[in-house]
Amino acid sequence: MPTGLARYIARRLALALIVLLAVVTFTFIVARVVPSDPAELYVGPKATAAQRERARIELGLDKPLYVQYASYLLGLVSGNWGISLRAHTSVLGDILTYLPATLEIIILANIIAVMVGIPLGVYSAVRKGSLLDQASRLTAIAGVSIPSFWFALLLQLLFFGQLHVLPLEGRLSVDVSLYYPVKTITGFYVLDSLLTLNIVAFVDTLRHLLLPAIALAAYPIGLITRMTRSMMIEVLRETYIRFARANGIVERLIIFKHALKNAITPTLTVLGLSFAYSITGAVLIEIVFGWPGLGTYTLNAIIEADYPAILGVTIFGTMFYIVINLFLDILQSYLDPRVRFT
Amino acid sequence: MLRYILSQKSSQKKLYAIVAIVIILVAAVGGYYYYQLSQGPKAKSIAVYSYVSDFPDLDPSSAFEDEQVILANTYEDLVYFDPSNTQPLQPWLATSWENSVDGLTWTFHLRTGVSFHDGAPFNAEAVKFSLERTMSLGLGGAYIWDPVKAVNVVDDNTVQILLKYPAPVPQMTSSQYAAWMISPRIPANATDWFNEGHDAGTGPYMMKSYQKGFQVTLEKYPGYWKGWSGPHFDNVVFRVDRDPSVRLQAVQSGDADMTLDIPVDLLSNIQGNANVVVIDSKAYRNLVGMINTVKAPTDNVLVRQAISYAFPYKDVIDSVWKGHARQSTGPVPTGMLGHFDDLSQYNLDVVKAQSLLTQAGYPNGGFTITLTYTSGDQVEKSVAELYKAQLAKLNINLDIQEMTTRAKYTLARGDPKQAQNIILFYWWPTYITAYDFLFNLFHSEKKHIFNFSYYNNSQYDNLIDQASQLEGTNPTQAMQMYKQAQSMVIQDAASLFIFDQDTTIVYNAKIHNLSDNPAYTETIFFYNVWEESSG
Repeated sequence: MPTGLARYIARRLALALIVLLAVVTFTFIVARVVPSDPAELYVGPKATAAQRERARIELGLDKPLYVQYASYLLGLVSGNWGISLRAHTSVLGDILTYLPATLEIIILANIIAVMVGIPLGVYSAVRKGSLLDQASRLTAIAGVSIPSFWFALLLQLLFFGQLHVLPLEGRLSVDVSLYYPVKTITGFYVLDSLLTLNIVAFVDTLRHLLLPAIALAAYPIGLITRMTRSMMIEVLRETYIRFARANGIVERLIIFKHALKNAITPTLTVLGLSFAYSITGAVLIEIVFGWPGLGTYTLNAIIEADYPAILGVTIFGTMFYIVINLFLDILQSYLDPRVRFT
Repeated sequence: MLRYILSQKSSQKKLYAIVAIVIILVAAVGGYYYYQLSQGPKAKSIAVYSYVSDFPDLDPSSAFEDEQVILANTYEDLVYFDPSNTQPLQPWLATSWENSVDGLTWTFHLRTGVSFHDGAPFNAEAVKFSLERTMSLGLGGAYIWDPVKAVNVVDDNTVQILLKYPAPVPQMTSSQYAAWMISPRIPANATDWFNEGHDAGTGPYMMKSYQKGFQVTLEKYPGYWKGWSGPHFDNVVFRVDRDPSVRLQAVQSGDADMTLDIPVDLLSNIQGNANVVVIDSKAYRNLVGMINTVKAPTDNVLVRQAISYAFPYKDVIDSVWKGHARQSTGPVPTGMLGHFDDLSQYNLDVVKAQSLLTQAGYPNGGFTITLTYTSGDQVEKSVAELYKAQLAKLNINLDIQEMTTRAKYTLARGDPKQAQNIILFYWWPTYITAYDFLFNLFHSEKKHIFNFSYYNNSQYDNLIDQASQLEGTNPTQAMQMYKQAQSMVIQDAASLFIFDQDTTIVYNAKIHNLSDNPAYTETIFFYNVWEESSG
């Protein structure tokens, strides 16, 4: 392993754990401070006093706060993230059930964003001031400004309502889910259908993924285009680029091999953060497309004050964010050794 | 071909070759997909119900939100409540029942030849198992079994329910919550098992697959006791579509066969579409605005009556519902046993309101009262705003506060002197009895649960408690007592009685025999429904 990398990773991991503990504690306190009656949500609104009292004990609400906190932390580590008050089922189990659906759209959305945004940003920088540049800058601003749910509804109206080429909503058509059902192995329909050689379901899944992924890609496309463009402009001005040109190196090689490599790191960081954010930020898209993902689960949990579910999602979201960040930092420090020693 | 690509020196040619291969692959796969779908087995008939919310808990003992929409098709009760019949209590899994003279023992005679989807026979043991399981879990609708002391098996086809105090047991066993008959062969701690997509009922349909938060698919149970002669759906799919415009588009395009809960302004989009039908059916659901009888100035009955005369009832029905609702007459909704059309009703009467305010000591109004409603609910919001405008004419300031359901209830359950003056919310019954409305909304409470008028009238309490005990054995007298009790709360203006809601169903014109039984909220009994085949 390159010098200093191991120590860098260890340091970042330790920091990550501290952040996670702080988030858990803070959320736990807030969930207790906000007035609500968890026992009532658990037993239902019309329960008798005796039933409510029983639920209070069953949920451990009669114990002092620090005992509840300690047992919650222990539970987190051992895989017991509590029971959803509304659904009476395991919170961790539910999160893992809803997670693949969201991951599918955000992964596809970010792939689209990278495939569109980076070339657009590069050519924009290289042909600075041209019509292509103007157009791409407009696209970028539109991408970061337009409301995602509005764009989603527009896509739906156009591709389903008018053109009838793409489906309205959901992960699979009713027909396909009945006659070519997807066997759940990973929960990712794209993977599961390929693994079981279910081609019909595979294509159907992709068709359903397209519109939500495009809707979700708008923001990262805008972000990546702008960042890539401005970083490339800066890098292309550098002395070593002029030196490379002077040495007669092919232009395409200069742009993609030398310049882009240096311009890419801030863009990757920004992309990583937007990816991590969309794990729950995709909720509006999920609602428009009836997508059974983590965003929808979070929304319901918050509206119903289902505090074990809220805590579970918050911790999960934080962990997700931390892991992505950590990965990005390590990647960056691998690519750019200067980072390891800051 | 790969060697050909790899041997190319020019990377440009390599790129073109790869792109060509990708295009060919996509075309092949896509073509296969469309071909397969067009050839697919079309023999089976499917009904698709686009529904507004998901199903948090599919356990028939504890389900208490909208799961009955599914459970009523996979499970069955002992008794079926049919409000369109003069004798609403109809046999379902029980064929007949009788009570002892003191009303404390109810004997049910069970239908023979019925089995659960897992093969277990339906019998008295199963009834005992189901009721005891639901009671011991103590969640959701289980509170309805509070009067029950024990459930005894007399013989295979006879079961007895013994009570601590008299209660309308047949109505209870017809409930859309907590009364479903469950196979005794389920695993221990079955809640997780149910929520993975299993069912253990006797109903016409069985769970085929479950994608949580997205779709439930049912298939027909071949051994169903009513048999399958005649036209029936083979499969029923429940899709979760939260967005009303998506639900509407789904029905209009034929993607879905039926849906509910479409806002009235969207309904006008369907005008002229011959493929889609809209019907209104009664729902036992109403909107109340409970008035705080403890906090000034609404602690004064004259003020409460005045603001009851100042509510724009007709405006609300016309502009908010465009006729798809009717003004309430008291707390029990239209069509329900215990509803009386001849009870007195407040109507918008500014003169009367003014005179009552003057008598109360506020000749020029001049005070502020708070109203809370559920955020996100457009209907409640419109109601609140129309009311505010009307009250302003009397120089009363209505301070409207939008809150989440939980926050709204938490405030209302705190100190009444600090709570809202008026709270808007909907009510609907667990099983069909006027007592559900009269008890939950107005019975005095030590700990506030839903009596958000904080009404404390022992005469009222005794009247409805006694009526409830008589309901099973002497319903006529019970209804008269309920009527008297309703007069009291109306006279005391403990609440605004705003509107009784209809259920508006939007569906594919080829579907027949679709009717909403208000006793089973938003539930379609798919066994009874059929579709015209085209051509």
